[in-house]
Amino acid sequence: MIPVLEVKNLIYTYRVRRSIFKPVDEFIVGPVDFVLNAGETLAVTGHNGSGKTLLARALVGAITPQQGSILLEGKKAEQSDKKTRNHNIRLILQHSKYSLNPAVTVGSVLGQTLLLNTELNEQERKTKIEQTLVKVGLLREHYYFYRHMLSDGQQQRVSLARAMILDPKVIVADEPFAALDPSVRSQTVNLILDIQQELGMAFVFISQNLGIVRHISDKVMIMDKGKVIEAGSSKTVFDDPQHEVTRKLIDSHFSLVDKHFEQF
Amino acid sequence: MRLLDVKNLTVEIDTGSVFVKALDKVSLTVETGEIRALVGESGSGKSLIVRAIIGAIPDHWIITADRLTWKGQNLLTMSNEQRRIIMRREIAVVFQDPTSSLDPSATLRSQLEESIPEELLDKGMFWQRNKQRREIAIGLMHKVGIKNHEACMQRYPHEIAADIAQKFMIAMALVSEPELLIADDPTRSMESTTKNQILRLLSGLNETRKLAILFVSHDLLAISSMAHTMTVLYCGQTVESGKVKHLHRRPLHPYTKALLDSAPSFQINLPPKSHLVALPGTIPTLKHLPIGCRLGPRCPNARKECVKVPEQKMVHQHSYSCHFPLHSPVDDDLETKQ
Repeated sequence: MIPVLEVKNLIYTYRVRRSIFKPVDEFIVGPVDFVLNAGETLAVTGHNGSGKTLLARALVGAITPQQGSILLEGKKAEQSDKKTRNHNIRLILQHSKYSLNPAVTVGSVLGQTLLLNTELNEQERKTKIEQTLVKVGLLREHYYFYRHMLSDGQQQRVSLARAMILDPKVIVADEPFAALDPSVRSQTVNLILDIQQELGMAFVFISQNLGIVRHISDKVMIMDKGKVIEAGSSKTVFDDPQHEVTRKLIDSHFSLVDKHFEQF
Repeated sequence: MRLLDVKNLTVEIDTGSVFVKALDKVSLTVETGEIRALVGESGSGKSLIVRAIIGAIPDHWIITADRLTWKGQNLLTMSNEQRRIIMRREIAVVFQDPTSSLDPSATLRSQLEESIPEELLDKGMFWQRNKQRREIAIGLMHKVGIKNHEACMQRYPHEIAADIAQKFMIAMALVSEPELLIADDPTRSMESTTKNQILRLLSGLNETRKLAILFVSHDLLAISSMAHTMTVLYCGQTVESGKVKHLHRRPLHPYTKALLDSAPSFQINLPPKSHLVALPGTIPTLKHLPIGCRLGPRCPNARKECVKVPEQKMVHQHSYSCHFPLHSPVDDDLETKQ
């Protein structure tokens, strides 16, 4: 079987010169390698500033990696071929609140995506949008809503709808649950699990919440200072972490869980 | 001793046409040396309680309370000067959003050094004061786990990462050696190692210096690992409060149960990729509050009686407000003895 997404030796170097007298600051992400099959979830985790968000942006093509290649179903995803790439790899941004345009309705936020990427006419677009809204657990009426009329959880659902309206193969989600409350978060987790099962999408999922990472992921990748320090199936990594940093991260999470169970 | 005592606190917000009860008869106490967790989702009024305690509520909102006292002194009737003295030395607050609650026009060094009270600078002559100030500041930075203090001290708030800003806020709150620390979501945006470090620091201070902590958060994992007692808030109403242990073992209110079940880490036997427990619907907005028990429309066992606000009932320091509690409330201690 050809994997949906294959990343080989991806390296992105972030350079910034703060002043002409100072040396160039360099931050290198990578080399990153992974293989993702349909219906699988890869979770990327690590400390703040370890390059997780940069990796997500490189995957969707928002930044151009200097080296390496991204293979989509065995074919190389070229930076120039935006159309297939935008169709098949979609991004959910960190703050869904700020990634929706406050001045237009939900319908036109989603409509823009279809207008730019498909050949559908107006009527077809509207039907497609309504179908997607229902799929993510919203109502048809939300077509006419503005951002401020929706709650946090509903905004997250709109971001998810925008990501999946083009029926992508891969969804890259950057901290999709960080801003959500516990009960809404569980709802969204359930929704994502359902959609994945139904449509067989692959997820790349960036999060710091190890409880959820462990629950929904098949594979885990742990990053530190731009490097991938450990990768593998989530069961092996969580049961037997090899790298020092991973062990610390996992131990500190489970020490909290243990403290909780000690009370009984 | 009871440090902070809040009884039936109601805050009404002017929405233009009508007054909306953003907080509806909230009760809360903090004893000496206790870590009390205040749990609730966003919009449940957690931060509003904090603001009511520290007196940062706008004048045109109406605050009524049976009791709002600090060590027996009524906070609502005292003068602003008295209240400011209490806020300066006895209560310290870590605000929710660190980067926006720090002064953007001053470096971290000057902000931290400014907040050191004069009384703590008792060693040496007056020309040695600045050096002493600096030493206290550096000591605090190390204490909260900021290692490269030199690089941090010269920066402005927008130049540092969110988790460092959060630690810095905690350092600033601890500088006056308070008796009560109100921490409003102190572990937000932190990875688990840093979070653990902060939680250890707070529980350490609680044990060594008898620092009472009001821990406002919705991170249930953090709460159940360190807090002694917990108050659950939903939409401005106190839903249940009692010892963390009792609430976990035997939640009486359906909302508490749903909240505790929603965290996947608490369930050992949960198969991966299975559904999590979640209440349907979302938290109502302030303009569309349901009457009676505010959980009503989302509650799995709501009945006709739920349109009336349930009375708060108290069984062995475990209080709850629900017409139909999930278990018949019994004494946990009694049960373990048998």
